[in-house]
Amino acid sequence: MSSAVINNDNPDAMEPTLQSILDQKSLRWIFVGGKGGVGKTTTSCSLAIQLAKVRRSVLLISTDPAHNLSDAFSQKFGKDARLVNGFDNLSAMEIDPNGSIQDLLAGQGEGEGAGGTADIGGMGGMMQDLAFAIPGIDEAMSFAEVLKQVKSLSYETIIFDTAPTGHTLRFLQFPSVLEKALSKVSQLSNQYGPLLNGFMGSNGTLPNGQNLNEMMEKLESLRETISEVNTQFKDEQLTTFVCVCIPEFLSLYETERMIQELSKYGIDTHSIVVNQLLFPKSGSDCEQCTARRRMQKKYLSQIEELYDDEFNVVKMPLLVEEVRGKEKLEEFSKMLITPFVPPSAN
Amino acid sequence: MPPLLIIIFAVELVVQLVNTIGATTINNLIWGILLSFPSALSTEFSVQRKKQAEYLKVRNELKATSSQDEFAKWAKLRRQHDKLLEDLEKQKASLDATRAKFDRSLTTVRLICTKGLQWFLPFWYSREPMFWLPHGWFPYYVEWFVSFPRAPMGSVSIVMWQAACSNFITLVFTMLVAIYGLAVAGRQDKQAVPVAAAAGKQGSKAKNSGKEEL
Repeated sequence: MSSAVINNDNPDAMEPTLQSILDQKSLRWIFVGGKGGVGKTTTSCSLAIQLAKVRRSVLLISTDPAHNLSDAFSQKFGKDARLVNGFDNLSAMEIDPNGSIQDLLAGQGEGEGAGGTADIGGMGGMMQDLAFAIPGIDEAMSFAEVLKQVKSLSYETIIFDTAPTGHTLRFLQFPSVLEKALSKVSQLSNQYGPLLNGFMGSNGTLPNGQNLNEMMEKLESLRETISEVNTQFKDEQLTTFVCVCIPEFLSLYETERMIQELSKYGIDTHSIVVNQLLFPKSGSDCEQCTARRRMQKKYLSQIEELYDDEFNVVKMPLLVEEVRGKEKLEEFSKMLITPFVPPSAN
Repeated sequence: MPPLLIIIFAVELVVQLVNTIGATTINNLIWGILLSFPSALSTEFSVQRKKQAEYLKVRNELKATSSQDEFAKWAKLRRQHDKLLEDLEKQKASLDATRAKFDRSLTTVRLICTKGLQWFLPFWYSREPMFWLPHGWFPYYVEWFVSFPRAPMGSVSIVMWQAACSNFITLVFTMLVAIYGLAVAGRQDKQAVPVAAAAGKQGSKAKNSGKEEL
């Protein structure tokens, strides 16, 4: 703890661990992102395990359509938060960004169509098309849903294991887009609502039994939720982004791009996890290993040159076994906090 | 105030000048003169130009840097590049807006000073005689025609005077342009003689080679 404080006073020496995230008690949302296959899930699970030791309760959410949390913990997770075996304050859930909008719309149709009028692709169908047409709405809706749930569940810290880079960025830039679109829609409905209601009869019902005003109210509440989420994500006291990469060109390129985009959206990021570092034993005659080690060294030195003064660059080794199950993850997670010492340093 | 005669002539002259030189050229000229004076706008432009040069330098450097061998350097350049580009675009948009506003106001002033006066003066002074014709020199129908539409009989009306000025100026301009064209053509002809000969030779050579190929 004390060493972290010292390091915070001296920004030139960012420590090579994620201790600062553990120490920053105000953090509520932590995103873990990077290119596919660099070890996002392993990193987020490890971070969750470490956080669970210092926080009251931690929730780990995977928004990646290819869910890996179940694999990592060898335990089935679903749409509802469930305690991870062996922990009493660490829960996990997997949400499907594409599934949740379907559920949402279906639920709405059921709820409103209870009056007996079936949804025969009239106005309801049109609204669905409209909703799907807004780029990234599915993710935002799912995030809004999750956040509603999460708020009621009162977790201290929530870790998002996000989908690979492009996906994440699309979602992050998007609340502002949706906010604009929705504010336009509400404005329209305010202007033309009375006119439409005049057409549709005295009680203002749409052909499928939905009420225009009610629908607009729903949209409005969604907009409010999303704008709230947006402000929370842009607050560096509440939110941070952990970039995971491997010392290879494309991964590095994507990471740089992501960091730039994040700073454009005003989302705080000050940690990079460099994963899958090779440390072949001295005297090893594995040609591929030494060649790869050379390449990794090259990119590692570039990473140090580029990010060392502003980021916590955490170096994680490539293990000889799969990191699966609670014990191995715990073992792995220790290296996030205490820097890994290569075995063949001499 | 100078006599109306002169004003009408001057207006016609200006119109003819604008038509010959071109409105865009005049706008550019005035814009250039405006920028050559030390002002906030001209400093903004010089800053923009400096930034552009810097941007080009960074871009060249970025192109010369291998992203795979020197990633850190490349990424830093890239950040600089992106920032400069964004700045430049923002600034360019604001400067373009200033220029458009300037063009618009200048066009308005020009239209008022030319087309506006061209229409307004004949309308306002339609009853005013420009000058009187010597009595009895011209037959009645000529006097009627030159005083058309509303000037007193025996005088020259403003509309007629305007038409006369316009025709005269057009004639003189056409003449000047023709003389200038002739002079330029003459000079070019003199210079062009050797070139033409060379071209002729080349042409014959080409013909010969063509024959050989055949």
